[in-house]
Amino acid sequence: MSEPVLSACGLTKSFLSGDRRIEVLRGIDLEVVAGESVSIRGESGSGKSTLLNLLSGLDTPETGTLAWAGAPAQGGRRAEFLGMVFQSFYLIPEIDAFQNVLMAARMRKVPGQAERARALEMIARVGLTERARHLPGQMSGGERQRVAVARALMNSPRLLLADEPTGNLDEHTGDAVIELLLGLCRETQTALVLVTHNAAYAQKTNRQLFLREGKLSHG
Amino acid sequence: MPWYLYLALKQLFPTGRRFPFFTAISILGVALGVAVLVISTSVMGGFGHEIRRWTVETTGDVQVRADDGAINNPAEFLAQLTKIPGVVAATPFAEGYVMLEHGLKPAFPVVQGIDVDRVSGVIPLEHYIHYGSLADLDDDSIILSVQLAMAVGARVGDKVEIHTPLEYEKFKNDEVLVPRELRVTGIFEIGHPALDSSLVLVTLRTMQDLYGRRGSVDGFNLKISPGLDADTAAARINAALPPALHGHARSWMEINHDLIFIIQLEQNMIFFLLTFIIIVAAFSVTSSLLISVVRKTREIGLLGALGGQPRQVAACFCFQGFIIGLGGTIAGFGLGFTVLHFRNGIIYLFTRLTQSEAALARFYQFKELPRYSDPSYMIAIVVCTIVICTLAGLLPAWGAARLKPVEALRSE
Repeated sequence: MSEPVLSACGLTKSFLSGDRRIEVLRGIDLEVVAGESVSIRGESGSGKSTLLNLLSGLDTPETGTLAWAGAPAQGGRRAEFLGMVFQSFYLIPEIDAFQNVLMAARMRKVPGQAERARALEMIARVGLTERARHLPGQMSGGERQRVAVARALMNSPRLLLADEPTGNLDEHTGDAVIELLLGLCRETQTALVLVTHNAAYAQKTNRQLFLREGKLSHG
Repeated sequence: MPWYLYLALKQLFPTGRRFPFFTAISILGVALGVAVLVISTSVMGGFGHEIRRWTVETTGDVQVRADDGAINNPAEFLAQLTKIPGVVAATPFAEGYVMLEHGLKPAFPVVQGIDVDRVSGVIPLEHYIHYGSLADLDDDSIILSVQLAMAVGARVGDKVEIHTPLEYEKFKNDEVLVPRELRVTGIFEIGHPALDSSLVLVTLRTMQDLYGRRGSVDGFNLKISPGLDADTAAARINAALPPALHGHARSWMEINHDLIFIIQLEQNMIFFLLTFIIIVAAFSVTSSLLISVVRKTREIGLLGALGGQPRQVAACFCFQGFIIGLGGTIAGFGLGFTVLHFRNGIIYLFTRLTQSEAALARFYQFKELPRYSDPSYMIAIVVCTIVICTLAGLLPAWGAARLKPVEALRSE
């Protein structure tokens, strides 16, 4: 078996609510290998987004360890190691779709011809060649999310974390985005962790997990 | 271009927007402050420069006078002066007050006796003589300043009478001295109302005759080598002059020390006070950028999620302050120099509207608004503006850098 791309062991996280401490995550163990897709479902407020923030290194766990491809997770490696897709797209409104995709590469170094060609390729792979020079404000929700997917995969990450990527989309558009996400991850052997409410989308992943009372279980 | 600089430019000048309103307002605020600074320091600099011009062009770079009044041995004195390194030319002068009369119209000018053969080496008098010629000046003629000529109604070719204090001295001894009659051979205009209304020029010999001075002079006007500092030259001359001559050299700056000091003080005070306009504009830049940080909280969170470091996020907002400062400086200089170019038209219009044409000349001694943009002040304006505006971006930058990506992405 290949080395896990993502390896989390005993992650815990709690928050203070007034004078009460709420334990959101109570020892999360998770391993994801290259090319594998894992879905995480759970009720609202169950801690799915908190878990994704821990896995992405944006937030730090109180206890437990997190490794990316066998090495401790560090913020400095984030841009090259993982891509993220959010429910609210989070595109930069002042720049067009092409530049939004290129921004992921720009974070690592000043982009050259190769990076520009790669950005155009990613735009083409999400089917938006004609919309490359359009601003996010001129695009539909589905198109914006496809741009966000292209941006997340721009640096050929080994791990893709998607937090409710269809939450703001209608059913038809959501289906298309999920198919695109799964297809691209399969094709590029990128590990995918998908947080979703939708059972049908979850069924399309290799492994379905459920987050309940701060622990992961098979769904 | 690094992403934070690229994004800073794009946030100020978004793709597809022809007129970025917030950016334009911020740049305009800074530009107005810069323009006011450029205009005011240039006009004040112009006053100083104008004083230098007419001082140097009427008295030379350095003036040498005797410690105890008249110089009775001018030839020896002149020979010593011309030997001193850095002295290019020297010309003697003698001066005093007279009463000038033409057609029963009197005036009381300063009369200055000049050495016609030497004066042009030090003072460009020919340049200011609008009617007649310096070459025509002889022992029986006189050159009048323009306003004085108009006041007494004298023209080139007319004869004027000169009364001197010597007449009174003779009268006390029961002698009568007939007023000297001189022919007007020229009329000059320097551009300084005081000089243009109260100075007349005669030959050195005529002046000595008028005052009965028997060959003595009051001093020498000197031209020094180009690039040589006038104070340094004066000090060098004082060190080189034999003590027996009892001469003392003073630079044009030392002669006009008080006036130059006042103008310099005014220029510095204006610069200091008007810098606050830039600071006020910088506060509006801070305010705009702070609003931008609040509006873009989730975008800032995204930048963190994409791998952006807090210091890079901070640099993005600092750079926006820098760009606004740079844009405001360029626009402000453009606006300031445009106003300076049309300053006399603007002043003419303003004084016509307020019926105060005479006030400018009367109080400020200039017919036109002078202008000199001192490079050191211009550099100071550029540096101050860009530094202040970049600092204006620090507070928003600090706020943006402190945002945690997780909390920023979660914000509503």
